[in-house]
Amino acid sequence: MALKELSSLEKALGLKKPNKYSTQGDKKVPVLQRSNGPALSGLVTIATYLVREANRAELLGESAEHRAIVQQWLEYRVTKVDGCQKEDIKTILKDLNTYLEDKVYLAGNQFTLADTLMYYGIHHIIVDLAVQEKEKYVNVTRWFDHVQHYPGIRNHLPPVVVLKNRVYTGSHH
Amino acid sequence: MALNLIINSSNPPLGALLAAELVKDSVTVSVEDGKDNKLHVSESVQFSDVNSIARYLARVAPALGLYGSNMLEQTEVDHWLEFSAQRVSGQSGLAVSLGELDKALALRTFLVGHSLTLADLCVWAALKGSSQWQSIQKQAGVFSHVDRWFSFLGSQVPFNTVGNKYASSKAPPL
Repeated sequence: MALKELSSLEKALGLKKPNKYSTQGDKKVPVLQRSNGPALSGLVTIATYLVREANRAELLGESAEHRAIVQQWLEYRVTKVDGCQKEDIKTILKDLNTYLEDKVYLAGNQFTLADTLMYYGIHHIIVDLAVQEKEKYVNVTRWFDHVQHYPGIRNHLPPVVVLKNRVYTGSHH
Repeated sequence: MALNLIINSSNPPLGALLAAELVKDSVTVSVEDGKDNKLHVSESVQFSDVNSIARYLARVAPALGLYGSNMLEQTEVDHWLEFSAQRVSGQSGLAVSLGELDKALALRTFLVGHSLTLADLCVWAALKGSSQWQSIQKQAGVFSHVDRWFSFLGSQVPFNTVGNKYASSKAPPL
């Protein structure tokens, strides 16, 4: 899973030469063996390295505050979203929905690596949501639909259908 | 082809200025201060209505997709252009229009499709110029989706540059 994600990220970043990855341990932690340096391991570490390799450092945040917020969501992705149990899913969606009410992207008005990796990580949850649940978490749904249409991001993942207008108008927010 | 946009400097047409700013890499547009809004295309062709100016500019640079990417999106753009002229800039109750706009933006980042179009430019410009909206905006959270969309666009180029450059002359008296 993480390996597909990393090769999609390479494409999204416009990196021409695909890297070869291996995995380590029971949790299948991705490892990047470089020819001219030490091996790198861990999804976020490798992803950050790829962003710098592609000269797209703005995707890690432009100000000190934005960089911190990007790191925060990258950590949230690997600690909370990855390997989450069924009962955690509601909490994740509720947290994200509240957080995204006044934001277009996770770091505010700027698209970052956090959006890409959160989109890859949460895709399996969103794909299983019923129409009614997608409306309940309306801010997550809007953000998700925007990211899946962001140029070059979707790659290995199937598109998720999102209605553009509310069907269940009874509940507000 | 060189275009000349003359603007009424005491009440600048923000939507047309935004469109001009966005298409400036595809077509040469010079902007001049004057008394009335007018896009000078040639000796015989001129446009004076803001929406007509914005439409012409969007069509002259089709690669930017400011007019949507298919017929359905084009029609949606037309709907919002009308909405901006009649329902936001007009005299009708702004709160009702904002309610509709808020509903439309619940599941959308941009008004039409997945990227910036004339719809965003013209509705944003009409709101930016509305003193009623400025006072509604102060009571945060009433139209949360409009709030998010409005400030997102306002933070992007060229909205921030055009907004800062021209909107100050139109600020309502305190």
